[in-house]
Parts: sequence; structure tokens; C-alpha cells
Amino acid sequence: MSVINDLLCNRRSADVMAHRLLVRRIWTLSMKDIRCHPASTATIASSSFSTSLQSTTTRVSFLSPSRTLPRSLPHTSRRAVSFNVQDHEDFTERVINSDLPVLVDFHAQWCGPCKILGPRLEKAVAKQKGRVAMAKVDIDDHTDLAIEYGVSAVPTVIAMRGGDVVDHFVGIKDDDELDSFVSKIIGQ
Amino acid sequence: MAALCRGRHRWKRTNCLYVVKRNLTGKYDYDLVVVGGGSGGLACSKEAAQLGQKVAVLDYVEPSVKGTKWGLGGTCVNVGCIPKKLMHQAALLGTAVKDAKKYGWQISGPVCHDWATMAEAIQNHVRSLNWGHRVQLQDKKVKYLNVKGNLVDEHTVKGLTKAGKETILTAKNIVIATGGRPKYPTNIPGAMEHGITSDDIFWLKKSPGKTLVVGASYVALECAGFLTGIGLDTTVMVRSIALRGFDQQIAGLVTDYMETYGTKFAWSCVPKRVDKLSSGALQVTWTDTQTGSRAPETKALGLDKLGVQLNDETGKIVLGADESTSVPNIYAFGDIGEGRPELTPTAIKAGKLLARRLAGQSTELMNYDNVPTTVFTPLEYGCVGLSEEEAEKRHGKDGIEVYHAFYKPLEFTVAERDASQCYIKVVCERAGDQKILGLHFTGPNAGEVTQGFAMGFQCGAAYSHLLQTVGIHPTCAEEVVKVNITKRSGLDATVTGC
Repeated sequence: MSVINDLLCNRRSADVMAHRLLVRRIWTLSMKDIRCHPASTATIASSSFSTSLQSTTTRVSFLSPSRTLPRSLPHTSRRAVSFNVQDHEDFTERVINSDLPVLVDFHAQWCGPCKILGPRLEKAVAKQKGRVAMAKVDIDDHTDLAIEYGVSAVPTVIAMRGGDVVDHFVGIKDDDELDSFVSKIIGQ
Repeated sequence: MAALCRGRHRWKRTNCLYVVKRNLTGKYDYDLVVVGGGSGGLACSKEAAQLGQKVAVLDYVEPSVKGTKWGLGGTCVNVGCIPKKLMHQAALLGTAVKDAKKYGWQISGPVCHDWATMAEAIQNHVRSLNWGHRVQLQDKKVKYLNVKGNLVDEHTVKGLTKAGKETILTAKNIVIATGGRPKYPTNIPGAMEHGITSDDIFWLKKSPGKTLVVGASYVALECAGFLTGIGLDTTVMVRSIALRGFDQQIAGLVTDYMETYGTKFAWSCVPKRVDKLSSGALQVTWTDTQTGSRAPETKALGLDKLGVQLNDETGKIVLGADESTSVPNIYAFGDIGEGRPELTPTAIKAGKLLARRLAGQSTELMNYDNVPTTVFTPLEYGCVGLSEEEAEKRHGKDGIEVYHAFYKPLEFTVAERDASQCYIKVVCERAGDQKILGLHFTGPNAGEVTQGFAMGFQCGAAYSHLLQTVGIHPTCAEEVVKVNITKRSGLDATVTGC
């Protein structure tokens, strides 16, 4: 997996097209993803607000059968993947009201395992190329929010889709476990 | 809603909030409101909730003069016991590293200490405790409000958020457990502007550097102790005596040890003024013969208008044996109580017992006697019971027998460390079984050593019991059960190992 990520990271935009075929051949899982994506997008669309339908349609077109992804997509998906929740309103706007499924990573600066899980989560989310977002919540800064979502130990990761908690786990998970967790959230 | 409010208006001066928050008893929002989320407040509120009471705890930290603030848990967790013991440990490790060379460890060059690394690690641990307490309150179903509590009347507490928003809570009983905060001396110009207190030292991100500690209480000596231990140039300015309230012979041993290990002492001095020089350094002008201390957090509570009796001198709340104040339904305990030991374990126990009594589950009162304690100065001092001078006062010099011993911890031998102040003193009644009145121990791990003996003390141990107890070898603690030379005999009390 990391080899593929390196490929993606180091890709110069000029070579994006050529290497995408290579990536797809190696990354067998992703073949299924691309195939299932319209269906999953539809699921997301149905559970989120109607205003988001526009964006999902646009997203589906990116993954049309011709499989031509715009050059900028890997970059945008990596850049916009995770964000730090600023306050309750921010959480409502970017997590509860998100079109995408969102992983909420409750962490603390004093928590060692959180520092290990954080990058792993980013990696797992990045692999999904924009199909899932990640919100990071520092429980010392947002104690009430953490308590509201029943967090007791950290790291706690909650998966939200359409404003509902659909899954969660506590503690560290390895890369494979995270990949399957994230895939489940997206709806494969 | 408005109609309901008007209806209630006849027999209760309230607003709509009361109607919304009616509890099962029908009269008050809560069975118990605890003001103060420290060692005592948290223990009391959790115990009460466990007994089925509807409880709310209000905690609010007024930033220190320097702007330091912290989370839930009170003094012990944030600016007391916990960070203190961890910094003390940091200092002890520094000494251990020096000893290590004698034990064969190859340590090249001098070992230096980085404050930032230590502070961050300790501050992170404290934050994890803040969180832990928050989760516990949630689990035990205690309502937590980060508001500054103020008593409106004997059943009403007003809470103010940082932003100034008000909340009113009514309660059948109110418990005050707001503790104390360091008090700046008001008669020393520059002290408040340029000085810091124990509230600030544990939260400094950068090393305090060369430090003058004004005061010689256990707080001052513990701080001066670990500052010296981590390599900082530290001086203690003492007005008259060190460790007031503790056995003074032992206090002398503790300060002697500190002086031997590099802490400087300015005896019989008080600061007159503090100025900041152009270099950024602080200049303290002193004179021989006034200092900081801790003051109770009662001012903001509005206790005066409720008629809660305070001690004129200390400002602390005058309490009955059952932690009651002069106003029915208002109770108080912990550091805020007059004459109470300023210790976490007593606050916790008193809080739990109070909760049980208020819930009608028990009549047991807190026993404040025989409370063991330890001062975590570089040479630790653990004790339980009376000081020698207090025992003399109560029983007369002829009514007591003092057994004592100067011992040397085995670990000090190879390390070539001076053990002149490692000492044990057992103060007993002179007659009969020779009941132990007070036990004092200076040496490594004094807290660990004293804890076990405190149980013996609680059971009414006498010197005869000590004689019957076999020691564990080789330890420092065994010297306590082996103590046999009396002060009265005048013999040399230095004991050798085996």
C-alpha cells in the first residue's frame, strides 16, 4: 500500500494519467471501489441534504466509465482530507451536515497512542481519494463535544454519515483494520 | 410556560428555569450542589450521586495574577500534589544519576536538565487527569458546570460562566469545597508584579532560572527542593521558622540537608521590595524580620451576606464536627475549613462521609486525628501523630519517652552520600505499654515508609508493639521497629547497620 501511496505522492501532474493505469492494476481493491462508487455516492446523496446532490453528481462524473480522473483530484483529496474542528458550529457544519461520511478522530496531546493512530487514519482516509473526510477533535479544547459523543478513552474514532453515528472504535488499529473500517463506512 | 411561572410566583421568587428543572422532590433543582471541583468537591459529589442524590458540581479556576489557569480537579491535581511529586521525582532522578557513577554506570560528562521536556510531560499528565475527572463525573451522573459559584441564599447558588452568562441552581443542601489559593504579600512593592506563586511554577513553559523562594512552609521548601535538584540556583528566604506546625527538630534536619545539597537559605529575612532590572533580572531588597501564604477562597462566594461564620484571622469557614457551617443546609470542608488539615486524603474522606450523612445513609463523622503526612523535600519527612513539642505540652516532659536513631540508608554507602540527617523519632507515653504519640521519619521514600506505620498508629500501637515487630532487612523502615535509644539516656543515637 505504501508503495502505491509513494507513487501517488511523487507523481508529477504530467505523469498522472500514465500511472493511473499502473495503480489500478496493482490496487485490486480500488477496482471494486470505482465500480461501486456511483452506488455509494447515491447512498450518500439520499441520506444528506438535497443541496449536496449537485456535488455528488459532479463527483460521479469524475469516475465515469472512461475512468479519466482530472489531474488535480489526488491533490485536492489529500489536501482537504482532514481538518481540525474549531467549535460546535464548525462540527455541525463540517461533520453533521457533511455530504461525505466523516471519521471523527477524538484525540489529546497527552495521549501517546493517538499520535500513532493519527497518521494511520490520515493514510487510510487519503486512500479513499475524497470519498471520506476526517475531522480531528482535541478533547481538551472541545471537552463538552467529546463528552456529548460518549468519549471516555482516547483515541476514539467515530464514523458519521448523514449526521448519524454509524460506527466507532476505541484504541489503536493497524493499517488493514483501518482500511476495512473506512471501506465499511463508505459503504462497500 | 408563562402561566406556570406566574402561578409559582406566589410561593417562590424564581424564574422559568425552576419550572423546567423540577426534580423528583419537587422543590429544588438538586439534592446537592457542590461548589468546588477539587479533591474534596469531586469525592463528595460522586459519593452523593452514587447514593442516588441529584448532584451538581461547580468548578471554576480564576486565573492567577500571572494568568495561569487549569482544568478540573482542583489544587492537588493541577498545582499541588501531582505536579509537585513529579518534579520532586525529576530532581531525585538527577541525584540518582550522580550516584549511578559510583555504582558503575558509565556516564560521560555532566548530565543537565531540560525544564521544557519535564514541564510538558507533567502538564500532559495533568491534562489527562483533568479529562479523567470529567469522564468520571459523567459516568457517575454528576452534573458539571464550569461556572463561578456564588451563594444567593441557603438554597440557591448562582453560577457565572467566563463569558458572564448566569445560571441559577437551587439545592436542598449546599457544600462549599473551594479550597485556597496562594496569597501575595501586599506590603512588598513589586511582589505581585514580578513574583510568581506555586500556581504558576508548575505551568511554566520555560525554566524559572535563578529563583528566590520567599517562605519556608512545606510548599516553599518542596519547590525550592526540586528547583535545586534540577540544577537551578535557589535561595529560600525565611522570616522566622521553617515548616511551622511540624516537629521543629525534624524541620531543622530537613533544612540542614537542603543546605548541604545546595539550597541557599537567608534566615530571619523578609523581602522589602522587588524591582525588575534593565537586564530583565529581578532584584529583591530584604530586611531582617512578613510573606506569602495560602488564603481561603471565600470572598467571591458571598458568604458574608448569608451569615456564614468565618474565622477572623484566617478567613476560613468555622465548622462543626459534621462539617456544618453556621447556616443550616450549608456545609464546607477541605482546605476552606478552619482547623482542618490542608491535605487531599482528608478532604476526600471528609467529603465522602459528608455525602453519606446528607443522604441519610450514615452518621459517621470524619476523624481528623492520626492523619499521616509527608513533606517531599529533597530529604523526605514522613510523620503521623504529635510533634515532640506538642506531646511535651500535653503530657509534660516527664510524661513522655522519646526513642530515636540516626541511621544510614544502605544505598547511601556506595554512593558516598552524607546521611547525617536521616533520622527516626518515636514519641511515646512514658508509662505502661508506652503508647505511641507521634512517629517521625526522615529519609528516602518517607511517604512509603510512614503509610504502614500510620495504620499501626490508628490501631493504638505502643512501643511494646514495635518491639514485637520483626524488621524487613535491609531497609530504612526496619530502623523504626528497632529504635531503642532514648533521648533521656543522652546516649549517642547513631545506629549502625548489621
